[in-house]
Amino acid sequence: MKTLEISGLHKQFVDSYTDEVVTAVGDVSFAVEQGEFISVLGPSGCGKTTVLNIVAGFEKQTDGSVLVGGREISGPSPERGVVFQSFALFPWKTVLGNVVFGLRMRGVPRQEREPIARQYLDLVGLEGFERKFPHELSGGMQQRLGVARVLANEPEVMLMDEPFASVDAQTRRKLQEDLTGIFESKRPTVFFVTHDVDEAVFLSDRVVVLSSRPSQVNEIVTVPLERPRDWRSVLDDPDFRHTVTHITDLLSGDESRVVQADLDSA
Amino acid sequence: MSVSTDRARPVAGRRRGWKHRLAQNGTVRTLGPFVPVVFLWWLVAELDVFPSAFFVGPATVLAEMADLIYKGILPSYLADSLNRLWNGVLFGMLIGIPAGFVVALSTWARKLTWPLLMFFQAIADIAWLPIVIVWFGFSLTAVTFVIVYTIVFPLMISIVAGVEQVPRDVIRAARSLGAGRFRVFTDVIVPGSLPSVATGIRTGLGYGWRALIAAEIIIGSSGLGFMMFDSRRAGEVTGVFVGMIVLGVLWFALDALVLAPFERSTIERWGMVKTAEVGR
Repeated sequence: MKTLEISGLHKQFVDSYTDEVVTAVGDVSFAVEQGEFISVLGPSGCGKTTVLNIVAGFEKQTDGSVLVGGREISGPSPERGVVFQSFALFPWKTVLGNVVFGLRMRGVPRQEREPIARQYLDLVGLEGFERKFPHELSGGMQQRLGVARVLANEPEVMLMDEPFASVDAQTRRKLQEDLTGIFESKRPTVFFVTHDVDEAVFLSDRVVVLSSRPSQVNEIVTVPLERPRDWRSVLDDPDFRHTVTHITDLLSGDESRVVQADLDSA
Repeated sequence: MSVSTDRARPVAGRRRGWKHRLAQNGTVRTLGPFVPVVFLWWLVAELDVFPSAFFVGPATVLAEMADLIYKGILPSYLADSLNRLWNGVLFGMLIGIPAGFVVALSTWARKLTWPLLMFFQAIADIAWLPIVIVWFGFSLTAVTFVIVYTIVFPLMISIVAGVEQVPRDVIRAARSLGAGRFRVFTDVIVPGSLPSVATGIRTGLGYGWRALIAAEIIIGSSGLGFMMFDSRRAGEVTGVFVGMIVLGVLWFALDALVLAPFERSTIERWGMVKTAEVGR
């Protein structure tokens, strides 16, 4: 069953300074199966975050449709939880309070909330930090909390917008491995936006490669790697290197076309 | 290199030890800076730089203060002033806080009221006194009006600024976790704008306090401002000095007993004052 179906997605907006009409998303269509990890990859400024924002319900598309579980989406909803690059935690709530928030909003009875929240804090490795405030955690731990907060709501699809872009390289590797572990044990449906090719290939079942603006789907690459995955074995895997090279070629070919187009127009 | 630093460290540590302890001591930290000021004041008075009818020393002021407390004048005036301030602050917050959030959240309310806000904020509180006396006479209502007036505008403006400072992603996070517009307001916008609201209350209180003294000087029949002005009329500089010192001490007390503990247990506890760190 298709959990998420995006078809003919198109987004234009008017630049408020120049009054120019800018096309952020040209024509994007793809579908995500239930329990699938899919990454959206593209050159910077290609509108991949715009696609995520539309799926999240933060922005409205100009044309096309987004179906979740077969129903047209309207506005933000807990069925599409978002993990942000900026973490976007509630600084005035404790770690536990942050995870419980979604459950409270959805009207889960009080006595059930805490056990559920603790279960997800354990899952991301934050047990023992329940009473801390977010600013007392490291960046990596803050993003673990961001993941736990979304997963506790058991969304149809978890949307992740470059979630590890603002943590240091070492922590990022660890977080990617842990996310893979969580994915392999819980099998949530994940829609992951990134500009890091290695990251996309390591994490995903399939990678949607977008062309530069106005974005279209260039190719959907299936990642031929076995699960469970970890960085040590994946880095040695020729399939991994091959997939990364292929996607890098797709992206750079696109870039040289852009450069050529710029030269032509100049 | 490493040997020399190792040897130097304990000495430096010990020396920093007692200085550090002294600097950590609350009383020292609060009163310390006043020591040279009081000494200078005493020195100027002792050297008779100014005639004693214009300038009196700390000892005289302290004696006068004790006398005023003993006679019960200072406590009763102080109670009057604080009562007026409390009235003004209470109504000011009751009006300013809801009005601030309405203006902050509703685009049309902001467009409609922003020019008015700017206009009325520019009219100094005391500039209202003449007309307020005509309307309400020399009464508590008149004083309250002026204080409310001074508090409402800075409070509203800082609430608008505070609401704008709530990161967009945090609001979006709440929405995508299932919060409706009302819960976003109560659970995200209110706590998220608290640092700025706290600043607004602090500023508002400061303005209100000054407005109160000004109002009492002009229309009071009791209170600290009245006491100071009355002393001046009688040619008693000591009373003026007493009033000024009480004003300063009171602000200190208000800050230490109410404002600072509130901020420590909320925005500082949440790490929101060192802002950039959270949004990183």
